Amino acid sequence: MDADLVVTLARLAGLERALAEFPEDVAAAAAPALGHRHILHAPTDPAAEPWPPMRAGIGL
Amino acid sequence: MAALTELHWLTASAAARAFAARRLSPVELVRALLDRAAALDPRINAYVRLDGEAALAAAHAAEAEIGAGRIRGPLHGVPVGIKDIIDVAGLPTTCHSRLLLGNVAGADAAVVARLRQAGAIIMGKLSTHEFAIGGPSFDLPFPPARNPWNPACHPGGSSSGSGAGLAAGLFPLALGTDTGGSIRNPASACGIVGLKPTYGLVSRSGVFPLAFTCDHVGPMTRTVADNALLLDCLAGHDPRDPGSAAPPRAHHAALLERGVRGLRIGYVRHFHERDMLADAEMAGGLDLVARTLAAEGADIRDIVLSPLGEFAAVNRIILASEAWAVHAPWLRSRPGEYGRLGRRRLMAGAFYQAGDYVAAQRRRLRMIAQVEAALREVDVLLCASSMEPACRIEDEEAMAHTYPRQARAPFSVTGHPALAMMAGLSSAGLPTSVQFAGRYFDEATVLLVARAWERVAGTDALHPALG
Repeated sequence: MDADLVVTLARLAGLERALAEFPEDVAAAAAPALGHRHILHAPTDPAAEPWPPMRAGIGL
Repeated sequence: MAALTELHWLTASAAARAFAARRLSPVELVRALLDRAAALDPRINAYVRLDGEAALAAAHAAEAEIGAGRIRGPLHGVPVGIKDIIDVAGLPTTCHSRLLLGNVAGADAAVVARLRQAGAIIMGKLSTHEFAIGGPSFDLPFPPARNPWNPACHPGGSSSGSGAGLAAGLFPLALGTDTGGSIRNPASACGIVGLKPTYGLVSRSGVFPLAFTCDHVGPMTRTVADNALLLDCLAGHDPRDPGSAAPPRAHHAALLERGVRGLRIGYVRHFHERDMLADAEMAGGLDLVARTLAAEGADIRDIVLSPLGEFAAVNRIILASEAWAVHAPWLRSRPGEYGRLGRRRLMAGAFYQAGDYVAAQRRRLRMIAQVEAALREVDVLLCASSMEPACRIEDEEAMAHTYPRQARAPFSVTGHPALAMMAGLSSAGLPTSVQFAGRYFDEATVLLVARAWERVAGTDALHPALG
């Protein structure tokens, strides 16, 4: 996750004060988000979604 | 009955029997525990607030009631410690944080009210990680708890004071909470018995939230029988908790001495043999548990679930997102009042997207279905809890490396009941651990398997030599 992106996301989350006072902690907080996200893959076929409310194209 | 010098090792069950037989008074027991806390707690830091005066007053009241033949039940007069994210009326619920030092609870949490109704003696508030996530830390208003088996080592967390205090003989019962393993981690590190019950079995009303999808309150004890006893008191529907379940009332000790003959136990060995490699002594302990239960008549089979990394990711994304929602206002306005670890871990949720959270919840549903399917093939699952014994608490590198290495996340995610306990002792004299998990609301079977191991291994008789 690049530093500019971290700052932008932190500002969007209202963390200006934490950015100013604890920039290392903000960076450390952001790091796991990238690490964990790639483990969870959405089905490539929306119709293969196992949870009916999120299954595209065929309704409940 | 234990000698007067050994009162601190009395189980809740034994204490209650002694009270009923007038061989011991709750006042004597509380005084002995207060003396022990005065002697040992400066090294262990289990308590953030020991409420000795109130405990003695409650003990006198219990003594009078028991003496008059008005015995409320098996916990009447028995001391219990309360993790300091759980409200006790009139005492601060600090969550081990500067932010809440003055936060005096106006009412008991539902679980504390149940304990009082049962006549249990509230000893005080116990050390935790900041807001049940930011620890162990040295930059908080109270020092972190330490492991009674070796006070240079961590006691696990976040119910750290609960685990440490039980192992040190400061009280026979404690309450903990578990969102990502926080009952089972200290149970593993301190060699005690910690049960994360089925999601919704025990009310969370009056408990500071971390992540509502995964928050559980549960019993922590030195023995399996005491754990069942405490769970009987705690369990039950509470309309104030939106996640509270209403299962049929169960007597959780009903099957305790049944033994495991004929039970099917699924050994999820890939958690510690492939997904995260356990150290040799921990792995050896787990295999010993499996072989022993097989020798006792259980049918041990290998079970395969999703890789630990996937469970951990789902747990972390859900936990981080929901915890962020709780803490966002303070993290925006008062970030300096958190400890460094709490600040880092609680800000993490700000960096996930809504789609990440939904993906995690979606995957969670599939994980629930997978564990349910496994528990149609077997009656109980056996797996690792921690991957190695506790390391030195002041070794930041070792803490960062070993603390996340665990197999507790799967049942935090799915909500199945899961119990961690001692498997044995390492060559360094630290507890090794094992975890058992079962069907929803079938804590009785989980407890019976745990009791079978405890009976053969004698783990309930092993205590640290603290003096």
